[in-house]
Amino acid sequence: MTAEIGLAALALAFALAVYAIAASAWGARKAAAGLMLSGRNAALLVFPAVLLATGCLVSALMTEQYQLAYVYSVTDPQTPAIYRFTALWGAQKGSLLLWSLLMSAFTSAAIGLNWRVERRLMPYAVAFMMATLAFFLGLSLFVENPFERWWILPDAPPAEQVISTVLIPPRAIAPSEANLRAGAEGLNPLLRHFGMVIHPPMLYLGFVGFTIPFAFAMSALASGDLSTGWIRATRRWSLIAWICLSAGLILGGRWAYDVLGWGGYWGWDPVENAAFLPWLMGTAFIHSVMIQEKRGMLKLWNMLLVIATFSAVMFGTFATRSGVIESVHSFARSQVGFPMLAFWAAMTFVALATLLWRWRRGELRDEHQFANLLSRESMFVLNNVVFIALFLAIFWGSFGLPITSELLLGVEVTIGAETFEFYVVPLFIAMYVLMGLAPLSAWGATSARRLGAALKAPLAFTAMSIGALALSGTSLVVAILGYGVALFAGFVALFEIYRGARARRRSLGEGWLRAVGALFGRNQRRYGGYIVHLGVTVIGIGVVASTVFQTETQHTIARGDTINVLDYSLRYDDFTRAQAVDGRMMNIAAVTVYRAGEEIARLRPRIDDYPQMPMKIAGAHSTLENDFYVLLMSGDRERATFRIYVNPLVNLVWWGGILLVIGTVIAAYPKVAK
Amino acid sequence: MTDVSWAKPKGAQKRKRSERVKFIAAGLIILVAVLILLISGTLQGARYFITVDELLSDAAYQGRTVRIAGAVDGESIDYDSERAIIRFEIVNIPNEYEDLATALREALLDKNARRLKIVVEDAAIPDLLQHEAQAILTGALGRDGVFAATELLLKCPSRFEESTAPEGLSRIPEHQ
Repeated sequence: MTAEIGLAALALAFALAVYAIAASAWGARKAAAGLMLSGRNAALLVFPAVLLATGCLVSALMTEQYQLAYVYSVTDPQTPAIYRFTALWGAQKGSLLLWSLLMSAFTSAAIGLNWRVERRLMPYAVAFMMATLAFFLGLSLFVENPFERWWILPDAPPAEQVISTVLIPPRAIAPSEANLRAGAEGLNPLLRHFGMVIHPPMLYLGFVGFTIPFAFAMSALASGDLSTGWIRATRRWSLIAWICLSAGLILGGRWAYDVLGWGGYWGWDPVENAAFLPWLMGTAFIHSVMIQEKRGMLKLWNMLLVIATFSAVMFGTFATRSGVIESVHSFARSQVGFPMLAFWAAMTFVALATLLWRWRRGELRDEHQFANLLSRESMFVLNNVVFIALFLAIFWGSFGLPITSELLLGVEVTIGAETFEFYVVPLFIAMYVLMGLAPLSAWGATSARRLGAALKAPLAFTAMSIGALALSGTSLVVAILGYGVALFAGFVALFEIYRGARARRRSLGEGWLRAVGALFGRNQRRYGGYIVHLGVTVIGIGVVASTVFQTETQHTIARGDTINVLDYSLRYDDFTRAQAVDGRMMNIAAVTVYRAGEEIARLRPRIDDYPQMPMKIAGAHSTLENDFYVLLMSGDRERATFRIYVNPLVNLVWWGGILLVIGTVIAAYPKVAK
Repeated sequence: MTDVSWAKPKGAQKRKRSERVKFIAAGLIILVAVLILLISGTLQGARYFITVDELLSDAAYQGRTVRIAGAVDGESIDYDSERAIIRFEIVNIPNEYEDLATALREALLDKNARRLKIVVEDAAIPDLLQHEAQAILTGALGRDGVFAATELLLKCPSRFEESTAPEGLSRIPEHQ
């Protein structure tokens, strides 16, 4: 019964979304208020319908209805309740449904919050949001249906007796409960981690979040209301999407670090890159819309950026879901590949064509011209250039080069992580430098002398820090350069906060704490932005330290013996085998870690034997300064092999991420009405 | 435009023009720098991604850094944990296949498929290195016929993808 209800709800949601597109677009075109309202109401009803469908799938997962092929493929009787729930996004079909659920929730919220204020924009915005949603609901309904069930056709030839279908075939028999339970496959053990519990929904939230500014921008183009209304309506949505995307990327890195056992968190894998691309475009966008708001400039550019961000979101979804990453051939045979590619191409084409049409009518002309190379708007444009260069480099390396070489030369050409690093290091350095310069420059025009004067203090602090680092023994040029630019950007942010607070103290006589508080309250965006910049600085320092100064070693030792790494030593104490509640066997090594002769931690790295694969679970002693990260490679009671990583400052990557989220929340937080 | 009434002196217009030249020059410099970065990186780092068959049939590939993909033969996996050296064999998977899981299984069953010995030094043995996994390796084929890999990526489609026809279920009619 659950499957039938879920299926009906899914079909209803799809029908409502399709109706909402037609009613809203037609209503807006003919200025028919009734039709527009009807379109809006249909759009609002999509969310409860998708929620019901998702609820059915979750309930099937929780109550172990293994006849549903999806439940069968991602859970088994041993799966604990939490992972039964997260199995909702454990594979393609569930993920697509979750995508639609989040999208419909965002859509409803956007309609609820903006309907009264943005009357002119809303109907077309609804149409564009519903078009995206209808596409994904259609995929769930017709291609990747999560409500397919296993059936046995007794009359069919043996090889075709077991099938999974949406509708019940005539004369079909349901498989027996016992066989279904015995055959169920269980969730991929790699996905059993808190990072994987939150990471995919976060990324999806980021992805669907950027659909909203896109829909409003398209609506502005379609309706001809090209004022800053669409930016005002969607500024917060962009920031929310950006928080989620950033948090999703960082959590993904954390998952890789904890679970994949190679001591790193970012491998320039095409799947990672596909999620990073929309972030780069989105970051360029949230910066450059500020110039349109303040100065009425870059109207065409911002439209292009929001279209490119949406296009990158769709491409990222397509790339990770269609198999194109595995090979061009597997893409051609993937069921969702062509529909997704077609949708992506169609939306991008429609968007660019509409933009071109408005632009040629001269409706996107800027109100000011660029007057000065050192002005803040120029800095923002340069920042955009850097982000787009990063985007192009990463896109080229992950998709452009492999796909074009395969199509043109018949042989796939790829690049490795070291080439990605070669591309991005100079661009990231440029990004940090601009992050430091831009806040010091003024709108309109800045003279070189004024900029120089403002630079004095941050540069002095940076020079002192680098000097201290060099004295303490850091001699690598790459590291000094990396730390230098990151610190410079951070000092500028701190200095700007200090300067603002000092001015308030002088003119209003406030105390430091009060002055800083008032500063953040009065200009959330600006000072929230500085906190984000500080977060990016902290992440940068963590990345430089943990990449350049990572120590890695592997040794086999007898019980009671020790391995020495830097000023750490690890003693192998004991080995035990134990069974976990879900039935897997765990091989656990007990070790004691000493630093400079003092005991600092007892760790238990282990190998879990899952039916699908063994999995190494690292033992880690984490401090702000270092992660001592140890993997048990193999072992028995007498001898064991350990692989040890010492990752300096790696925790700054996560702490910087938290800072970045806090800063964005400050910038996006609705102002309290006085 | 209304700025006529302001009657800006000619100097201002000139300044405007010189600013524009500066912008265009800066833009061109950045564009060229990014292009140089991309092109030089690609020329240096580009690796052919080929099959085991292609690697073994063309002597020109010997000694060159390439990327290859193949199916891991589980029985051949040998890990020397004292020296952190992984050795195993991979079997050629054809360039075109219906789905990866089937292609891997069939490749390993094919007695005539070409095999290649792999060695990876100073590496942690990955959890996913097991029978019927797809190994994607970066490295070079040595004179001894062994492929020395510097990078090892693994995919195990058969274990995690939604199954198309579970064998266990078809037994049911007889039980009922």
